[in-house]
Amino acid sequence: MVPRSCLIRWKTRHLGSSIHPAVSFSRSLFASSQVYQTSWVQAVSNAEKVVGFPTSFLSLRSVANDEISNIAVYLKKLIGTGHPLITTAKNLVYSNDKTHQTRGLLVLLMSKAAKRESGQDILPEQRTLAEITELVHTAHLIHTGVINLNTPNANLEMGNKMAVLCGDFFLAHSCVQLATLQNLKVVELIAQAISDYSTAEFIDIIASENDSALDRWSQQMTLRYGSLIAHACQSTLILGNNVELIESGKSFGLEIALAWQANIEIQSFKSNANRADHVLSKLFPETPFVDVVANFQAVRDRHVNAALKLLTAFPQNDASLALGNIARALKC
Amino acid sequence: MVVSARITNFLAYSSLTVSRVSHLGNGSLRYQWLLCRNTSLLQLRSKIQTVVPSITSNVSVPKENIPTADALVRPDLEGLYEDIREGLTNTQPELRQIAQYYFNGEGKAIRPVITMCMARAINYHLDQNAPGVIQKQKKIAQIAEMIHTASLVHDDVIDVADSRRSRPSVNILWGQKKSIIAGDFILAMASGMLARLQNQQVIILLSQVLADLVQGEFMQLGARENKDERFAHYSEKTFKKTASLIAYSCQAVSVLSGADSTLQSIAFQYGRQLGMAFQLVDDLLDFIATSAQVGKPVAADLRLGLATAPVLFAAQKFSELNPLIMRRFQEPGDAETAFRLVLRSDGLQRTKELARQYCNDAVTQVAQLTPSPYQQALVTLAHQLLHRMK
Repeated sequence: MVPRSCLIRWKTRHLGSSIHPAVSFSRSLFASSQVYQTSWVQAVSNAEKVVGFPTSFLSLRSVANDEISNIAVYLKKLIGTGHPLITTAKNLVYSNDKTHQTRGLLVLLMSKAAKRESGQDILPEQRTLAEITELVHTAHLIHTGVINLNTPNANLEMGNKMAVLCGDFFLAHSCVQLATLQNLKVVELIAQAISDYSTAEFIDIIASENDSALDRWSQQMTLRYGSLIAHACQSTLILGNNVELIESGKSFGLEIALAWQANIEIQSFKSNANRADHVLSKLFPETPFVDVVANFQAVRDRHVNAALKLLTAFPQNDASLALGNIARALKC
Repeated sequence: MVVSARITNFLAYSSLTVSRVSHLGNGSLRYQWLLCRNTSLLQLRSKIQTVVPSITSNVSVPKENIPTADALVRPDLEGLYEDIREGLTNTQPELRQIAQYYFNGEGKAIRPVITMCMARAINYHLDQNAPGVIQKQKKIAQIAEMIHTASLVHDDVIDVADSRRSRPSVNILWGQKKSIIAGDFILAMASGMLARLQNQQVIILLSQVLADLVQGEFMQLGARENKDERFAHYSEKTFKKTASLIAYSCQAVSVLSGADSTLQSIAFQYGRQLGMAFQLVDDLLDFIATSAQVGKPVAADLRLGLATAPVLFAAQKFSELNPLIMRRFQEPGDAETAFRLVLRSDGLQRTKELARQYCNDAVTQVAQLTPSPYQQALVTLAHQLLHRMK
């Protein structure tokens, strides 16, 4: 069973940002290639500068709020249980230099990229939406990290309990924040994203008569990751009243999510010792390693190119350039 | 059945005077004070009316012909569960199955009944007859039931339950992982429905419920060192876990009807007081029901480590209960000892009293609405709740 690693940096307005050389990605256990790492990191770090501090995200240490500090207590309890979600919990409580809140960043970049006049800044509602996107993603990771316990085990049961409650806390907090945005369509879109990532857990990546295994993978990834990013992009454009860019933004969100995930699979496949169990082996059975990599890189590059094409609808500015750099960095 | 002016005046008098005599050591006055204190601590968007008007109208419907709330709103709730299940179909087959599992119509549907009854009573009071309004109010009833059920699914995983409503619980049938995801799915669908009601305030109210439910669950995990704080902690937890959903659902349907803040407050307060009473009665029955059964000597709450109202009251007479409460009845024999001491004390009696006070307060609230069969049914609901304790 593969433990999920979720790496999130919880920044406050007071901390400076700097370039962090080592980055890991969700669902990937193993180190990615050096070239890829550097260009991705650089693209993301530069992008963070474009939008100022990525978020006004909760910092579990700096927010003097009863509820938040309680969460820290419960996450620490999770750490003590031996539960697979320990890494996730650790990164939430002890935020370190290795974390990026990339989904929130994408939302902020999209918000800024759509501004036609240079003076316009990202709206507070858009920043809140970026925070909500990260919260929902975190809740997703935590809840999908709950493990099935067939035999009683006090520690793991406690771990599950903490995982359920903390995930619920993040979801509830997201809903309350969503309500403050005073936009019904956005509430509907994010609710749809949560429903989609739930549905994704029940999809098998097995070829059927109508769909190839690759189609099923696409469907699953669209629901699991694409929906949240796409709907978040769409929502931020709604909030920014950039009606004409909504379709492009939404599609861009989807393409970048698929490209990103495809790249994660490729990198982990390359560095994974046990390839037979990897999802790519299942997508391309009985294919030599080199061909599997090449095939999936082609899939990834299709999505990257589609994303770049959609970006051309946006005004040329620092933010849209940063988005392009991030997309291109995935191709390495 | 008739809320006499004398009782309401007494309540009004006592709630006004008690707030000035909070230093009195007398137990029941102290808890009435807590009742008032908790009332004023609520985060309501509207101002809370604490002065109780004197009741002069008597209900004219003869006693024997008063329909129960359940019967009155049955037409409105026709197909409630079918509609909910319908709303959960747009997904993978297995997720659909898990999500629909608890919506088989076996539950008491107490929340939809209260919600629709309040909706009808408020509509009558405001002479609100627009067809769109009742449709939306029915959706609130559905959403309330979905939120409640999603929380049950998560609770079953958290409590490692093995059965619910005489059937295996979801976590037993599908495992914890899928059950949690199913709970999230139900919540997401409920949120989508909420958004489509096109009312900002209603979304704010019901999303607050979600936050309260989680916080209530966290509160239940924690314990208060200081025994004087324990009852306040228990009250707040009870509000968040049980009463919040009912209170905000009632307020939400009143908002949809066009209620002003005063009327919304009445709806909210009724839901809140009834919800608090509901939980107290549940906590009481947890003791009474088990003592009637052979071979099951301890209450389920005690076994879960929870100190509910009967225990907290008993601890005032038997201070040896305090260490047991602090260690959540973990040591062997703790639960049995606590159970025995509760039965020996006046804990059950005082819990009944408190439930009665909450019910009376709820009745006082809706007595301010224009008399109608629905308004009367809301009163009946409170009385029926008290009857469960007998």
